[in-house]
Amino acid sequence: MNPSVQMQNVCFAYDRGRPVLRDISLTIPGGSFLAVIGPNGAGKSTLINLIAGLLVPRSGTVSIGGTTVRSYRPADLARKIALVRQEYVPVFGFSVAEMVLMARTAYYGPLGFEGEADRQHAIRALEMTGTAEFASRPLASLSAGERQRVFIARALAQDTPILLMDEPTTFLDIRHQVRIYDLLKTIQVNESRTIIAITQDVNLAAQYCDQALLLRPASSMETPTQQRQTASSPCQYRIGPVRDILTAEHIEEAFGVNVFSGRVGHRHFFLPLGRMAKDAISDSTPPANEQG
Amino acid sequence: MHRLLSPKILFTRTAVAAAMLALVLVLCSLIGSQKISLKGTLIGEHSSAVPNPDYEILVHIRIPRVLLAAIVGAALAAAGVTLQALLRNPLADPFILGISSGAGLGATLAVVAGLGWTLWGRSPVAVFAFAGAVGTVWLVWTIGRVTGKFHVTGLLLAGVVVNAFFSAIIMFLISIARGQQLHATMFWLMGNLGEEDFFALWVGGGCVLVGIAALYLLTPQLNAISFNPTDARSMGINVERVQFLAFVISAFITAVAVSLSGLIGFVGLVVPHAVRLLFGPDHRQLLPLSTLFGAMFLVVADTVARVIVAPAQLPVGVVTAMVGGPFFLVLLVRYNRKVSWLR
Repeated sequence: MNPSVQMQNVCFAYDRGRPVLRDISLTIPGGSFLAVIGPNGAGKSTLINLIAGLLVPRSGTVSIGGTTVRSYRPADLARKIALVRQEYVPVFGFSVAEMVLMARTAYYGPLGFEGEADRQHAIRALEMTGTAEFASRPLASLSAGERQRVFIARALAQDTPILLMDEPTTFLDIRHQVRIYDLLKTIQVNESRTIIAITQDVNLAAQYCDQALLLRPASSMETPTQQRQTASSPCQYRIGPVRDILTAEHIEEAFGVNVFSGRVGHRHFFLPLGRMAKDAISDSTPPANEQG
Repeated sequence: MHRLLSPKILFTRTAVAAAMLALVLVLCSLIGSQKISLKGTLIGEHSSAVPNPDYEILVHIRIPRVLLAAIVGAALAAAGVTLQALLRNPLADPFILGISSGAGLGATLAVVAGLGWTLWGRSPVAVFAFAGAVGTVWLVWTIGRVTGKFHVTGLLLAGVVVNAFFSAIIMFLISIARGQQLHATMFWLMGNLGEEDFFALWVGGGCVLVGIAALYLLTPQLNAISFNPTDARSMGINVERVQFLAFVISAFITAVAVSLSGLIGFVGLVVPHAVRLLFGPDHRQLLPLSTLFGAMFLVVADTVARVIVAPAQLPVGVVTAMVGGPFFLVLLVRYNRKVSWLR
């Protein structure tokens, strides 16, 4: 019942620039919690925007529940996918409740007002995220952690099976980071929604997510000795269960840093160690693509 | 969830504002350099055999003038609300994208050329001003589109450049104009309300009312777009279509207003601001209330312009700026805690 997200041979480049995503094919099963991890410029946000229909692939198809994203009308796509982004530029002083209710705009009646169902969705979203207590406060008066939960509330109010998150824990302290991930996990399990989250925090991803997508910049694949678009050219991405994808070896390969990997309970954790770090790994041969 | 706008609150506030506007219209039509009494006018067109001067002044001079001020004020305030939302900029006003200089150029050309014809009862100045306004909007929109899909910075820059260029041409035309033309041009550029016939009022008022009603249908979407256009898209709003419609409609009602009255500044900037400071940023409420308060504001300002140096008259644009500026500053200082863009 919860639709899967599929990408088939998706390529993307901005205007006439170099390709950002090259030949991506993957399936994200409904109800899973996928972490999208990779260095800056690897195309993580681009990938999310392609799924959200905000960008159109150069070639290949993105589909949700077997229907291509491009063939949805905007209002219909908004019933499938909600998006939480990092960008926040307040212009006019909307309150928390007003902002969360905006998620229901596409369903408003002819007079331009929300119905009872819309109000219930908004109230539930505020309660689930623990933001109901400051529903009437202006958005600008909130702390970064509170604000992030309000944005998640708005996405929840949209009542979609799929939630896309672009770095939901940036700028948050560890207490609030954990709170956001607990919230996302609750949403995934209790509401059986699909969550696709870009994150820079490999360790939180290892603790909370089921699936991981590790992306590398498409440009890092272009070495002169390798021929492009051949079977032998390395893939830009790895996707699979977290325990298979998030390994020290893969992370070192994607980010080009030395990584120490240890264990808490059943999960691994990863600590990046630079050359000048106090516990820098002794036999420090520089990783292969550090200069890339 | 408390303090949310409901249809009931909206209706009550709009009704109260409409009643206030009606009162202002009645009072201001009784005030003027020529004293008239309400009792005198109630006698009707004729008292015994002689025409009744009180009635003549009220029906043929005061009422058209007051109604004209209301129509123009409403249009400018509504267009101001819309452009502030579209450009996501509280400093925007109906003239920010160059519509004023386009209309000004049209009007100045008509005056300097000394045209004497009329089109459906409209003077060449009004027709040229309307054409200039519409042409400029089209030009700015086309240039703005080249810089990207509704790129706000591109639109603003195009507006500024077109404004500067057309203003230079206006200055050139003024410098070669003769005395009488000069006076007419300056009055037009400063914003001036005259006595219009009822036909012009009907057409102008009808266009403005229909335009504002159409804009009201877009206000829920404008809320989301003014918050963040990309987010609005992901919420299922057809952002490009809403932006285009809102832009075209607000440009149209501004062009109608400008062709009736010349360039009246400050209404489209101050009134939406003041209403937002008092009642909050929800455009479903901001648009109707700004429309009504804009009408009231201009009717009062024009009454002041009519009587303060009687028997002469001031251009109403002088009054709106002189009254609106300080009034706005007081509001800003008193209510700045309410709005987030000041932080």
